[in-house]
Amino acid sequence: MNLRVLIAFARKELVQTLRDRRMRSMLFIAPVIQLTLFGYALHDEVRNIRLAVYAAPSDTLAWDIARRAEGTGWFRLVRPPRSPYEGLASGELDAALIAPPGGITQAVGRGGGEMQLLLDGSNTTRAQGVAQYLDAVRRDVIQERVDHGVAGPPALTLATRVLYNPTLESKYFMVPGVLAMLLLMVTMTLTSSSITREKELGTFETLLASPVGTGTILVGKALPYVLLGLADLPIILGVAYFVFGVPVRGTFWELYVATLAFVGCTVALGILLSTAAQNQQQAMLGSFLALYPFQMLSGIIYPLDNMPKWLYWITYFNPLRYFAVLIRNILLKGGAPTLFWPNVGALALLAAVSLTVAWRRFKPTLN
Amino acid sequence: MSPAAGPVSGPPAVDVRGLTVRFGDFTAVDQVTFQVARGEIFGFLGANGAGKTTTIRVLCGLLRPTAGEIRVGGESFHDDNHALKSKSGYMSQKFTLYNDMTVAENMAFKAALRGVGDAELKERKERLFRLVGFTHSENAMVGSLPGGLKQQVSLAAALLHEPEIIFLDEPTAGVAPEARARFWAIIRDLAAAGQTVFVTTHYMDEAEQCGRIALMRDGKLVALDSPEGLKRSTFPNGLLEVEGAEGAEGAEPGWEARLRALPGCVSLKPHGRRWHLEPATKGDAPGLKAALPAGFTARDLTPSLEDVFLKVVEPPPVKAGA
Repeated sequence: MNLRVLIAFARKELVQTLRDRRMRSMLFIAPVIQLTLFGYALHDEVRNIRLAVYAAPSDTLAWDIARRAEGTGWFRLVRPPRSPYEGLASGELDAALIAPPGGITQAVGRGGGEMQLLLDGSNTTRAQGVAQYLDAVRRDVIQERVDHGVAGPPALTLATRVLYNPTLESKYFMVPGVLAMLLLMVTMTLTSSSITREKELGTFETLLASPVGTGTILVGKALPYVLLGLADLPIILGVAYFVFGVPVRGTFWELYVATLAFVGCTVALGILLSTAAQNQQQAMLGSFLALYPFQMLSGIIYPLDNMPKWLYWITYFNPLRYFAVLIRNILLKGGAPTLFWPNVGALALLAAVSLTVAWRRFKPTLN
Repeated sequence: MSPAAGPVSGPPAVDVRGLTVRFGDFTAVDQVTFQVARGEIFGFLGANGAGKTTTIRVLCGLLRPTAGEIRVGGESFHDDNHALKSKSGYMSQKFTLYNDMTVAENMAFKAALRGVGDAELKERKERLFRLVGFTHSENAMVGSLPGGLKQQVSLAAALLHEPEIIFLDEPTAGVAPEARARFWAIIRDLAAAGQTVFVTTHYMDEAEQCGRIALMRDGKLVALDSPEGLKRSTFPNGLLEVEGAEGAEGAEPGWEARLRALPGCVSLKPHGRRWHLEPATKGDAPGLKAALPAGFTARDLTPSLEDVFLKVVEPPPVKAGA
């Protein structure tokens, strides 16, 4: 490996990428806009939950829960339509809370009761969120009554408390995930299109006609995009922090080590992609095709635990899975070492494997 | 004129023996054998798809041959042969500089790829820019330069590592005639200085300036000689140029077919407003002249390379009744 050639490559790629207005905006402006838009979209999603309560005015416990739910700011109490089912079907309601006949207050007084919660399940993520919110509210109310000696301990086991994100603010959870997805998209697309562009222009032939090994060309093409990916981090992180108030509890070195391992992977995947693609169009298409399963199987949007076993095994090959855990861990929890090192290690291993495969596929001739 | 370019004796700069390149079922280069001497200007001609670029790519170490042996500057082909790649310079058909970088940036990148040190780069750049006649600013973006200037920089970049053999694949395609003439003056200078120049072109006036010309057709080498030798061997009985007076053609419909039917006529091909007529033997010329219809005249013509190209390389025109 020739250091001078690597430096020359770095210079060339940085100059070309940063000089190109399209590339520049893809690298620095698009992620900012996308993260902001995604963040706000997800932000709005969990607010304004329209809740109708079906309980007699004398049912104090039911109204306690309702008012407390309203107090969190996530719920908006609406006038109950005649039938909760119709209200949900017409989209008038997001959730309906129904007290048992005779009232929940009395039922709890007798030693145990159950309120029915009806949810609009057409958006599972939202439904899950609503269920969790209300459950937290219910627990709070019961706890308060126990504390005040209003009622004896009800026959309920307390579910796990939600750590790190006590208000279950999904933006804290989602914004780091979206950040990881954007980083994947930008670095993979830029790398693969930088190689396929040279194939299109014919300059790739000139590279191959030079007396440098394919390994040098490969690393020479990869390294600049790893650097650009790292340069992208503070910018998107800035949006997460300043626009969405996502905390940065871990250290910067942890962030950079994790990002380095991740971007190493994504750039290697970009190169791998360009060994199969002949032109920029194919590379773009390949990027988008790859992006979708990467997102779906990353645990960013859909929980991995809900997946069938065979699909769950596939997620072990998804770099986004590890980085999503890492970035959430570092930003929200301050980077627990038990989560940090195994995930960084997995990413480093994946990067090494993809780079090796890319190198094996990277032919020194045009055959 | 520049000093006479001349091949030097000794081991050939390029030695190709039985080269065959197949892509699946398609044979791009078929059993091609030739040698190029050091200091020679070697022209490579053929229709598009005849196998010229494929051959050059093998010689530059870019394409693995299916069969046969090649040597460039004494180096044989194997994947990633850096020695072979160091001996050759390559200016490909497609433009090989980066449009979005300056001239200086392009040269610096090329220097790094080719292992040319900073001090050498500075010295050679000056010399090469003088040689190719590039006087524009080095800080100009390559994409903003006109075609002729780009070509100059491209050549300078290909020469930066002082290759023994320089492969130029249609270097003057799309370049203005004046710039083409200048470019060929540079090629002659290079050969005179001992560099071997291997060039493909579609321009016959350029082919005339080559020491020897190889003609490719459908992947096969169909002729190899000096321009004069090719003309002699292709047209051993010379050529006649036929011209009709105003209105003469209209008065004699079907005269071409009748003339072609004569046993002394090998071919009669339209050439602009005239025709080129090839006699079967030297003795057939007077008879053919006599057979011309009224208003037509014929005179002896020295065959040009274009005549050679049309006869040897281009697919024969479908003859009526043939």
